[in-house]
Amino acid sequence: MTAGASALRRGDALRLAGAGAALLAVSAALGLAVHFLRPAATRLPWVGDWAHHVENLAFRAGVPVTFLEGARMRVGAADAVVFDARIPEQYAAGHLPGAFNLPLEDVDRQLGAHAARLRPDTPILVYCGGADCTDALELALKLRELGFSDLTVYPGGYAEWVQYGGATRAGAAP
Amino acid sequence: MNRVRPAFIWLARLAVAAIFLGACVAKIQDPAAFALAVNRYRILPGEFVNLVAIVLPWIELATGLAVLAAPARLRAAGAAILAAMLAVFTIAISLNLVRGIEASCGCFSTRADAAVSDGWNLVRNGALIWLALAVYLDAVRRAFPRRAPEAP
Repeated sequence: MTAGASALRRGDALRLAGAGAALLAVSAALGLAVHFLRPAATRLPWVGDWAHHVENLAFRAGVPVTFLEGARMRVGAADAVVFDARIPEQYAAGHLPGAFNLPLEDVDRQLGAHAARLRPDTPILVYCGGADCTDALELALKLRELGFSDLTVYPGGYAEWVQYGGATRAGAAP
Repeated sequence: MNRVRPAFIWLARLAVAAIFLGACVAKIQDPAAFALAVNRYRILPGEFVNLVAIVLPWIELATGLAVLAAPARLRAAGAAILAAMLAVFTIAISLNLVRGIEASCGCFSTRADAAVSDGWNLVRNGALIWLALAVYLDAVRRAFPRRAPEAP
């Protein structure tokens, strides 16, 4: 592995670049061929609507997001408060252990009930149904307006939590 | 040294190829989940995220196979591409660590419960870059041997 071994003549460098281009071309051809062989229902579109994906919306709004492992840590943490932004019927059907229901539409009326457990710097995790909903992000933005500073959105939400075997609670109580 | 070096190069080829051939499987199986992992680095414009998710695993497959079993010139090209990809991945993971994003690197698994990236990912990538460069230099030396100057 000497430095001299990497010094290529121009012709050799071109032959090496040609081999690299061939590898990349074969890779792209294989990728595209398999892409078109997939059933249309499972085929990824060429261009996704990532600009409106909840994780990117949160990133642009300056709201931290966390994923399954981070959500598991916060759900088990004694000093963190978890809010479920879904409607009461969905919350009652199943929610993360210890999560309080704080529906987006009813924040102003219901937040007072949590005043005793909330300081402006209390770590707060918010979630909703899953990656397709923005209620958790909207709730986080609302709580930020109200003066809370340590907010994190779990975009995977209830759907991902259940998919990966997370414990749940049913009913109106956390 | 002369006996150790070929064995080291063979081990380097096996290690680099095994890691990339293993890494591409989950990404090929679930391109949508891999696209989400690519998006989480927030490096690419959204228009390119899906295209990268569709093609990149196949580059890993082709270059992994080239490093393992191709003739020297193709092997050198494969190792160079892998080293370049590893450098980009390392920068991307570093950016997420600096930004405090608790995401999995999306390297070997696209599952939501994959381990979150940490400093060990950078150490591992550094070691892989070193191995890939060793394979590259060995393959270049074999593909383009220096010709001895002709006697006058």
